[in-house]
Amino acid sequence: MSNGIPLAEALARYRPDADLGPLPELTDTDALLNAYHPDHLRGSVVKLVVGANAGDNCQRGLAELLQSEAFIDEADLAGTPVTDIDVLVIGGGGAGCAAALMAAEKGARVLLATKLRLGDSNTVMAEGGIQAAIEPDDSIQRHIQDTLRGGHHAGDPALVSALAGDGPDVLRWLIRQGMQFEQTPSGDLHTRRAGGMSAARLVHCRDYTGLEMMRVLREAVIQHRSIEVWEQSPAVELLSNELGQRCVGAVITSLLDGRLRIVRTRSVILATGGLGRLHLNGFPTSNHLGATGDGLVLAYRIGARLRELDSFQYHPTGLLHPAHLAGKLVTEGVRAAGALLVNGLDRRFIDELLPRDMVCAAILRECGEGRGIRIDDQRVGVWLDTPRLERANPGLLEKQFPNLMSRTRVSGIDPRIEPLLVHPTLHYQNGGAVINVNGATTVPGLYAVGEVAGGIHGRNRIMGNALLEIISFGRRAGIAATANNDRGPKKVTLEHVNRLRRALTLAGMPMTQRSPRVLPDYAAGGVWNR
Amino acid sequence: MTTSDATANKGNQQSGVTLTINGLAVNADTSMTLIEAAWHAGVPRVTGVGCLEGVCGSCRVMLRRGKEVTVGLACQTFAENGIEVVFLPPASAPQHHYELSDFKDGWDIHARFQDIFPEASRCRHCHGCDNACPKGITVENGVALSVAGRYREAGDAFFECVMCELCDVACPELIAPAHVGLFSRRITAHFHQRPPNLIHRLEELRQEKSGTAQEEKDE
Repeated sequence: MSNGIPLAEALARYRPDADLGPLPELTDTDALLNAYHPDHLRGSVVKLVVGANAGDNCQRGLAELLQSEAFIDEADLAGTPVTDIDVLVIGGGGAGCAAALMAAEKGARVLLATKLRLGDSNTVMAEGGIQAAIEPDDSIQRHIQDTLRGGHHAGDPALVSALAGDGPDVLRWLIRQGMQFEQTPSGDLHTRRAGGMSAARLVHCRDYTGLEMMRVLREAVIQHRSIEVWEQSPAVELLSNELGQRCVGAVITSLLDGRLRIVRTRSVILATGGLGRLHLNGFPTSNHLGATGDGLVLAYRIGARLRELDSFQYHPTGLLHPAHLAGKLVTEGVRAAGALLVNGLDRRFIDELLPRDMVCAAILRECGEGRGIRIDDQRVGVWLDTPRLERANPGLLEKQFPNLMSRTRVSGIDPRIEPLLVHPTLHYQNGGAVINVNGATTVPGLYAVGEVAGGIHGRNRIMGNALLEIISFGRRAGIAATANNDRGPKKVTLEHVNRLRRALTLAGMPMTQRSPRVLPDYAAGGVWNR
Repeated sequence: MTTSDATANKGNQQSGVTLTINGLAVNADTSMTLIEAAWHAGVPRVTGVGCLEGVCGSCRVMLRRGKEVTVGLACQTFAENGIEVVFLPPASAPQHHYELSDFKDGWDIHARFQDIFPEASRCRHCHGCDNACPKGITVENGVALSVAGRYREAGDAFFECVMCELCDVACPELIAPAHVGLFSRRITAHFHQRPPNLIHRLEELRQEKSGTAQEEKDE
């Protein structure tokens, strides 16, 4: 992309007190999304050929992984050490920890296996906050409506109403675990209104909400007597019964020594998060290093139905500069606090608090139509006008957004003086495994919670519902998985892997690629290119 | 007030440097973080990497510049000429054990703290923890506040802690300051955070639920 206003020129023109003119009216949101949202990029979506979602639309990069060869077969299982446990949780972010804690509280012996370090997840990076309808002018019903509307009515109303209904009790549970929230002088929880919300509903811990949540849950898990944790231990395959129709465990490897271990269990809870590190459509990502979509791959191979595989969230305000933070977020909380988006002509172009997909599409429109600010041929963005916000509320950035300030300080940028250059970044998987209100997938014995699960956010998630979802559904699945009282598996097999292999062969699909990805190739000895 | 275009373009000024990462000689440029430098050179087995933005505390490194040895986070440190970098192994399992559900009430905290963290009162003020902290937390002072029973203030001191546990490594008395800080924060929320707006909504929901249950019973 070579058009756009050169950075030096835009900077020379920029004034934090400039008159930005009237906000242009947005007449046709569907047309905006169709023309500019990355989900609608030509050639980005293909139809799945095999598996439970054959015939459904899916992003190309994900489809390749869903329809590929496994890493192991039966021969690898012979002689592999076996661990028996009541509940296996795969994934060590917020959802995994909540599920493990709840299952342990209900008396189960729990094993939590996680690819990187316990707590390495997108949870820890969540900044803005968690939604719960607690203000007098708000209600559970309004939270449900906002969530469904934000998701373009593609969400499952039963899941959404479970989510919203859990909100206040989730906050109580988190406080009991030792999580602090920002309070008003009178002791109320401080709330903000963010994009797509009809009331102030976002509860937060300054802009470190995810960090505060994750360090507390991590400590609670480490300290719990009934939870064992395996770190640096990614799952490479699930295990099924003789018929390949029930999940009875998983095969876990180790990043340290590469050895395999079999875990036999009555219930597996997938809490593996999303797939930003697949860099769909060539976008940068806000996600942590382990977000490679492993859970979707494992679930699909054992026969679980997935949904909305063609719908991903591109967060409007990823940093474009400095380069080492490219794609990393500036929390929507900054816009909720009043920061505006401004193009290279010093004009506002969209209501900053519309749902994320619309704001994202509007930024891409500005960049595409030559009103963006250009650093070089690859990098074009728009201003997030933080100096104007600071002018209107002196001291606000330092007080409420210490995370943003500390990150930019490392790079010698002061958002109080310089506006930030931002561009949409691949942020969240709207869909995922089909679940019921207990987090159960369509495969018996297999649960999915958090970003790997789908159905709550429809085709677009609104801010603060991800942190709520991981705790709400993490707890639900932890309880449900423990209630599964059958006698456990007699035999563990890879029958489901054989089934998918047969289907791939019949469909004439190549089986050259193996999955899950586990780590992005640039972090596993491949080529690194910023 | 205008902005300087010098800062916005700084990332583009590159200059080649040579450093070692886990013993391997590596070419990089100064705009790269140590993690990017490791990827760039294909250094194997760098798995202690998480968020890449300084909040997960995973990418702990030991840094040697001549005779000076420090610690830090690899995603927050840029490549420099001649620096020796070693990625540290993950922290070992914690040595201090407690579950919040074991606490009777708020009066119990201070006595229990002395049992759980007996080393905390033996701080010898060596500043090892302060020097190790990549977030600039006044760790030593935070520990002193906990020992004095001032858990809220102690917790506030640790607000930006990312649990990299580099202070735990640095402490000759094995105090585990990061966990002292987290204990102080958790205990404060657990016993003292009682927000009226949340409690009121929870009560409304409870009454609604018992009302519905009563109606169902009546039918």
